[in-house]
Amino acid sequence: MKKPGLKLNDISRNAAEPLTEINLDELTPLPPPYDKIEEQPGFKRLTEDQAERLVHNLDGVVSTAALPEPQDKEEEEKYVGQFLSGMKKLLSKENNWTFLQPLLLSLDYCAQCQTCNDACPIYLASGRNDLYRPTYRSEVFRRLVEKYARPLGRLRARLSGDDIELNWATVSRLYELSYRCNLCRRCAQSCPMGVDNALLTRELRKLFSQELGWAPKELHEKGTVLQLAVGSPTGLRPDVAKDNLQFLDEDFSEATGLDIHTPWDKKGADVLLIHSAGDIISFPESPISFSVICNAAGISWTLSSEIGGYDGVNYGLFYDDVQLARVARCHAEIARDLGVKKIVMGECGHQHKAFMTVADRTLTGDLNIPRESSMTFLENIVFGGKIKFDPAKNDFPVTLHDPCNVVRNLGIVEPQRRILRYLCPQFREMTPHGVDNYCCGGGGGLSVMSDVNFTDWKVHVAGRMKFQQVLAAFADRPGPEVKKYLCAPCLNCKLQFRDIFEYYGVKEKSGIIAGGLAELIVNAMTGLKKPFISWEDPA
Amino acid sequence: MAQMELAGNTYEVDENGFMQETDLWSEDVARAYAAKENVSELTEEHWTALKYLRTYYLNNGICPMIRRLIKETGYNLRKLYDLFPEGPAQSACKWAGVPKPTGCV
Repeated sequence: MKKPGLKLNDISRNAAEPLTEINLDELTPLPPPYDKIEEQPGFKRLTEDQAERLVHNLDGVVSTAALPEPQDKEEEEKYVGQFLSGMKKLLSKENNWTFLQPLLLSLDYCAQCQTCNDACPIYLASGRNDLYRPTYRSEVFRRLVEKYARPLGRLRARLSGDDIELNWATVSRLYELSYRCNLCRRCAQSCPMGVDNALLTRELRKLFSQELGWAPKELHEKGTVLQLAVGSPTGLRPDVAKDNLQFLDEDFSEATGLDIHTPWDKKGADVLLIHSAGDIISFPESPISFSVICNAAGISWTLSSEIGGYDGVNYGLFYDDVQLARVARCHAEIARDLGVKKIVMGECGHQHKAFMTVADRTLTGDLNIPRESSMTFLENIVFGGKIKFDPAKNDFPVTLHDPCNVVRNLGIVEPQRRILRYLCPQFREMTPHGVDNYCCGGGGGLSVMSDVNFTDWKVHVAGRMKFQQVLAAFADRPGPEVKKYLCAPCLNCKLQFRDIFEYYGVKEKSGIIAGGLAELIVNAMTGLKKPFISWEDPA
Repeated sequence: MAQMELAGNTYEVDENGFMQETDLWSEDVARAYAAKENVSELTEEHWTALKYLRTYYLNNGICPMIRRLIKETGYNLRKLYDLFPEGPAQSACKWAGVPKPTGCV
């Protein structure tokens, strides 16, 4: 049950009981026609069987079935010991080459002002549930560090009177709680001291993965591990990737009347373009649009069918430094072997952040190949004069979602807007937008996690503020008869919007579809016989 | 690991009810899944889609793109939702005994 005023040390008590529960009528309300709770899909509760097998002591939501109930006290204590040793490693420069300094600063400098809470879309959407305050998770972690990893910590903690016990309840809840954050860093941006709660969350996930071997299977076992072995977390093999794109080249050539051809493995091309493989499978208009645009602009470019070369995702960013570095090096080695001048990253936010900043220090020597965002790449093409456009073809309401990793975290704000202002006569901004945007709710790896009842949480809670924003941006033309386009230049964001739109019936009730940026560019090209963007299902 | 009883046998499934050992699939398993979603009879059209899905998965290690499924079966998305109440990914893949699609799909 939801407790008013959840205390920090509640996290270490009653290991079997959830600390809170999600009830739809406690969440911040949605506007009409989405305001009737009885018309919404309910919040799935665990079955009796699931409740017996799976740890669910946080909020009744289970993000990953990878955490079974421990068999006995001994097993519980083993995990507690591992957590303690992992925590000490996080604080040592030998073991934490990536984030030690910002971690220490974020541990030491929180002034407890709570300003960040009102910046967090999850906390706001939840109806201000204490459990989801960015500072709740961080402060628990901070106090554990103080108590167990600093000199005289235990004594000082005892004297303080409200110390937190490091036990099975604390460890298992912190694990789940580290997956109730989108790592969007809106809180960090609002902090007067520069404390980064998202970083603390991510370091917790790293501790669990690298020391306890706990990570959501969608991110690890069926994520980075599958990518390094087969080529993609989707399971898409190199030969199947090529075969699929060949099918799409033909299928879209037929549909558009254009001669679409996607080049593969061209040594010495100027540009290696790395899409996300999920775009090939689920949003094929995106990779096809890039093929059309690059060819029309006369770019020397290629895709790669090496293992990992056709899927730019790097889930390591979300949970594990070692996997992050492995995937990033895999991408860079492919580019080096092809001899390209630069790598262009497709419409995928976390690929941008992993490859442009976090993995930068692992890419030295001949792996230090220039990497460019598709936002600037497309901008240069659109304004380069080689392609003729008729913006009247995009005469429908368009709004722009800012993927956190591209915009807030890398500062790539204007290129995509300059394209939309030029090519979309009815472009309108959301409020707030740019670096102040709300996350789609799928950030931090959450969009690929769908076990048990996690999708309910990420749609109803994590995506709620964003959904309100999208509806508000189109409030002047709310009905389904007006076809509207939400431009979301990031695969993970599109997946999250797909879930939100399906849950609430958004296409039927509001006429909104979500897609990428490249599709709008192709749709505005002169010479296309019929519109490229369609609100109809593929026939 | 969760388990589910289908057509008189017990199978390992994921938390969403997808079979984990695809080799153990049979047509009766497909019928049992369908019954759970209130589809009492599998028609020729169901089988066309299910067999295409399953064969494609066994050859390629992944489920086919929706566009491909539509082209190969001749059923549009609306038709696929008529046949499979939760849609091609959530129902048809499950009934065909192949694992739930993962990754960014």
